Amino acid sequence: MSTEPNPEPNPAMAPDGDPEVYYLNMGPQHPSMHGVLRLVLKMRGEEILEAEPVIGYAHRAHEKMAENRNYLMFLPNTSRVDYLSGMIYNIAYCQAIEKIMDIEVPERAEYIRIIACELNRISSHLLWFGTFLLDLGGITPFLYCFDDREEILDILDSVTGSRLTYSYGRFGGVTMDVDSAFVARTRAFLARMRDERLPKYRRLVGDNVIFRERCEGVGVITRDVAFRYGVTGPCLRSTGVAYDVRRAEPYSIYDRFEFKIPTRVEGDTMARFDLRIEEMEESCKIVEQAVDGLPEGPIMPAKPKKRYRPPAGEYYFAVESARGHFGTYIISDGTDVPVKLKLRTPSFSNLSSMPDVLRNTMVADTIAIVGSIDVVMPEIDR
Amino acid sequence: MRYVRRVLGGLISLFVGLSITLRELFKKPVTLQYPHEKPSLSPAYRSAIKLIRFDETNSHDCVACLACQKICPSFCIDIEGGKVEGIKKKRATKFTMDFALCSLCGLCIDVCPTVTLEYSKLYDEAGYNRDWNMDLLEEFTDYEEQFITEQREREEKAAAEKKAKAAAAKAKAGKNEKAGKNEKAGKNEKAGKNEKADKVGGQAEEGEA
Repeated sequence: MSTEPNPEPNPAMAPDGDPEVYYLNMGPQHPSMHGVLRLVLKMRGEEILEAEPVIGYAHRAHEKMAENRNYLMFLPNTSRVDYLSGMIYNIAYCQAIEKIMDIEVPERAEYIRIIACELNRISSHLLWFGTFLLDLGGITPFLYCFDDREEILDILDSVTGSRLTYSYGRFGGVTMDVDSAFVARTRAFLARMRDERLPKYRRLVGDNVIFRERCEGVGVITRDVAFRYGVTGPCLRSTGVAYDVRRAEPYSIYDRFEFKIPTRVEGDTMARFDLRIEEMEESCKIVEQAVDGLPEGPIMPAKPKKRYRPPAGEYYFAVESARGHFGTYIISDGTDVPVKLKLRTPSFSNLSSMPDVLRNTMVADTIAIVGSIDVVMPEIDR
Repeated sequence: MRYVRRVLGGLISLFVGLSITLRELFKKPVTLQYPHEKPSLSPAYRSAIKLIRFDETNSHDCVACLACQKICPSFCIDIEGGKVEGIKKKRATKFTMDFALCSLCGLCIDVCPTVTLEYSKLYDEAGYNRDWNMDLLEEFTDYEEQFITEQREREEKAAAEKKAKAAAAKAKAGKNEKAGKNEKAGKNEKAGKNEKADKVGGQAEEGEA
């Protein structure tokens, strides 16, 4: 137990004698706040003077749990860190261990992983798209995009056996093989997504004047703020920085696929919206290339190890999750239990920039701004 | 002029949106009225684990090596068992699982040395108390006595065969060395399976210490 007193309260949030200034707690159970985020707003009238995100309501001590079990036993936890892109996190953890221990992954497993991860990225963006518009008061698009998302969940369900928390990856491969029905279904989904759904979303939402008015120029994240807080993912790319881990430090077999890193320079909510729609298209491209190139072969190494004991040392491995740069930092002492397993989650850094972004905006825009950075609270608290 | 254009643009986008939603209105709904219509389960669907009933023995093959109990990240498997009077094979006498804790990762299925675990297809189970322990041995208990008798017979038969083979091999060895070698290889393979199971259990125990 720490004997330190509580940390000093944020001086910017302290009352400054102005009788017009008041405080508003948005969340943790606000209907349009994301999960269990609490925003303390210091306001004058409708203008936000200061904002302070309060986190920790969904803390489950995943990192501490990792210190009490061996590397294999941490596998189911990884999907639960960010339940909206559980596949990416699950595979990322496997890839980290594979990199440390030099485990070779069969070609087919690599392709299956790419397909699964990119489908998961699309489903995560789709869910963001629906809930973001729900926050802004548009219920109809939510129903359409959940139809698409359901199709992805069904496709992944048919190969992994679960819909959200997959535990699909194993050190060296994946648990179950895909079949021709999976490939056919994925192709059908891609065709539907690209020819019908994405253009429809653009026309229904992207071109809608009411939506544009609410998003354009709202919640601008400048490049300076993004750099200072370590903002990554679509939020960083909306400021004109083409940083994507898949391109910057290609992991797995991403260097074999052709895809663009879409960027915008405006840094506002609209830019982030456009980017995510474009990213879904790029993910569709990657999935298509991976499905075309899917080789035959095994999905696990011939002799998977029984115990995993990484050599003593410190290791870091990063992937691009649906929300940005996700890193796994492992300190090993040579035993099969990690000394420390730190997860660098993108939502945390993205949310940290909010006090700067929300300053001097209107309270009505708060929901649009916080919604547009796509925070997943369990990922922040983990 | 600019204002007029904006209003017109707004009106157009409004009608575009309305036409899309209107078209959707006449499509077949994608919603499934769940309790009345049920979706088909995916073939890969994973639910609580269960013990496989093998055709040859008409029973499970759990040897209570505790490998699954040790790898379980949720610590939800509880196994007891060991030596059974009269047969060489170890048997599980208790195999319960708390499905409320299970995170369906499948690590237990991966480590099982006798491959006697698999996912069941339960999907609408409900627990009525806090300790929701599913007894996986329940469907096997009535049959256990018969299994032991049969297993004893099988083991006796195998031992007799082994003896006969050894005798035959000994007799042959004098005549033909090559034939003897082949017999020996076959014998090792058979004996290997039980030994392997015990070894895995032993290893896991070492690891914990």
